[in-house]
Amino acid sequence: MMLEITDLKVSYGAIQALRGIDLTLNEGEIVALIGGNGAGKSTTLQTISGLLKPVSGSIRFLGDEIIGVAPQEIVARGIIHVPEGRRIFSSLTVEENLEMGAYLQRDKIAKQRTLEEAYVRFPRLKERRKQAGGTLSGGEQQMLAIARAIMAQPKLLLLDEPSMGLSPVLVEQIFDIIESINDQGTSILLVEQNAQMALSIANRGYVLETGGIVLSGEAESLLHDPMVIEAYLGG
Amino acid sequence: MKLQESSFRSGLRSGTTLALILMFLVLIGFNASGAALLARLFGQTTLSGQLPPAIFGIVFIALLAVGQGISSALASRRRNAARPWVSSFAAAGLAGLALAVFILVMGSLYQNGADFRKTLYALSPAYIKFLTVDQMPIVGAAISLAVMLLAGGLAGLAAIYLPFGTYWQRVKTMFVRFWNLDGSRSLRANRYFKFGLYAVLVLMCFFVPRVWGSYWNYVFGLVGIYVLLGLGLNIIVGLSGQLVLGYVAFFAIGAYSVALLNAPIPHNLMWGFWAAVVIGILLAALSGFLIGLPLMRLRGDYLAIVTMGFGEIIRVLLKSDLLTSFTGGPRGVQDIRGPSLFGQSFSSDIDFMYLIILAVALALFIASRLQNSRVGRSWIAIREDETVAQASGVNTTRYKLLALALGAAFAGLGGVLFAARNQFTGPEDHVLMVSINVLSLVIVGGMGSVPGVVLGAFALKGLPEILRELANYRLLAFGALLVIMMIARPQGLWPVGRPSLQRKEAPDSPTENDKPNQEAPNG
Repeated sequence: MMLEITDLKVSYGAIQALRGIDLTLNEGEIVALIGGNGAGKSTTLQTISGLLKPVSGSIRFLGDEIIGVAPQEIVARGIIHVPEGRRIFSSLTVEENLEMGAYLQRDKIAKQRTLEEAYVRFPRLKERRKQAGGTLSGGEQQMLAIARAIMAQPKLLLLDEPSMGLSPVLVEQIFDIIESINDQGTSILLVEQNAQMALSIANRGYVLETGGIVLSGEAESLLHDPMVIEAYLGG
Repeated sequence: MKLQESSFRSGLRSGTTLALILMFLVLIGFNASGAALLARLFGQTTLSGQLPPAIFGIVFIALLAVGQGISSALASRRRNAARPWVSSFAAAGLAGLALAVFILVMGSLYQNGADFRKTLYALSPAYIKFLTVDQMPIVGAAISLAVMLLAGGLAGLAAIYLPFGTYWQRVKTMFVRFWNLDGSRSLRANRYFKFGLYAVLVLMCFFVPRVWGSYWNYVFGLVGIYVLLGLGLNIIVGLSGQLVLGYVAFFAIGAYSVALLNAPIPHNLMWGFWAAVVIGILLAALSGFLIGLPLMRLRGDYLAIVTMGFGEIIRVLLKSDLLTSFTGGPRGVQDIRGPSLFGQSFSSDIDFMYLIILAVALALFIASRLQNSRVGRSWIAIREDETVAQASGVNTTRYKLLALALGAAFAGLGGVLFAARNQFTGPEDHVLMVSINVLSLVIVGGMGSVPGVVLGAFALKGLPEILRELANYRLLAFGALLVIMMIARPQGLWPVGRPSLQRKEAPDSPTENDKPNQEAPNG
């Protein structure tokens, strides 16, 4: 088991954001975490990547407890978080953004190789490599954010709402990219409001509501679950 | 062509504006200030209460006419009017005529014993004599008219017929190439050129302070100290993006280090200047680090307010009666000893200039090396987006603290030099305004840019000194310059050589734009 979360509780002051969730992710899987606004999806990812400190619970990555481990150390162990809202370094060039992704890779030759690989995967970014990140279109920025994460050669990728604010065609593209990243062996924990898209590429899914998991199972069965259809698929 | 304004008429129109401005300047006596500034350029000092030689007044109005002539000629050419230079003659001639009439009227009235000083303070007899170039009013008026007409008109002709545009382009390309602003291989990369340039610079740094006298050593020494402060704050604000407003506190720590360690009163420790330099830098860096610890959770405005409070606390502490026996209290510390070298005093203004040049060179070296290092990239990432930086593996706490400690160290060095050079320091040297000045110079120069800091320090600390000739108008002129600078160059005088935020058209076809970028395995 790659990631194992048990009874995770997180609070912002007096407000309880996560009320004890359990979640597992096996190596090579795409797991979708769906739910409405304020359900605690982003909180979950931020806690895994060490940006937030939980009240209690346990997060084990490849068998080791990672609660209390510093964010940069979690990155070094192979968990990369792509925060929501296309957060890129907007005044750095595309290439500098990508190089920041490989921040912990000190071997220059290896860094260059991953950069070339990223450009093969994202030819669009290669065209724009000397351009400031902030001048890219929305879709390109999201691709840059994902490409930057790939630069770190993660074992587990945490994606926070990659489809947010993008046109259907672009969403399609982004999800194709996510699938191809997964094909090459990176496990993915995908947070989405677009439940249809997320469940269509995921192996398994969890439904989060007001800080608790209310439903989980195979992605296929969730897609046909009456409650999920009612609440998230507009059925 | 019918609808177009003729060059002559547009010239008269813009000439009216210049004439009005000129009248205003004459009435408040600004001509004399402007002329004094010019005289200063030629090494003639004008004592206060006296007027500079009249010839500089003529040069001053000629310069006004030249500016007007060029701008109206170019404006007419932009409108495709025929013979655009006519507008230069018209504009400058009209302004000259207005001035001539003014001189004629005033000169004649004075000759008949009238005195306007009760209502118009500036119009003293000496000033009227200055305006009439020590001649009869009619002759003075004629000279002014002729000078303005010719200067403006000829400048207009020159602007139209001489290929200044090409010259300017050429200078610009050279400049860009030289500083590598377009990312190409530059002249600077040439080893021999580089060596020659450094040799010239070193020689200049050695000889110039000996030649130009103690006044300029004083002015440029101050500029140099502000370059140090600017470089330090640039690391904190410009690179790591932490808005610190209490920067003066670190400056004060440096200044008081040398004051308390190397002055007879209050402690008579006399550890020597060099020990004070080391201790001042270390203490400042340590305080930057310690102050940083509780600040790590704050961002933006909150950080600014808290650090501003810190700066004020240091100043109030220095001033307080409680610590008078330790810090000298409100009266400060006097007789701070300067450095000595090999048993010889090394404290003349020239020596201090060398010391400051050395410190600035060192700081420039460190700052620019840091900026292009892994450390610099970490800072920039933190400035751009702290969360993403953290998610990319940057140890944000460590690098933010490092920025604070380093920036504070620069300020500490600046403080030591400042206090030792003045042989005095007191609480009033360390007011909030110092922090604001340093922050302004970083912004004016261009956030995060090392050469920008140098330019900014010259603009903010050097210019006010140079503008001293303008006496009453000094701050007015300075403020106006700042406004103009920020409108003309909102990114700062010398912005960081980053790609601009404007999209450069990438050479690709529209069909490629619409296609999916990724060849999906199932698509």
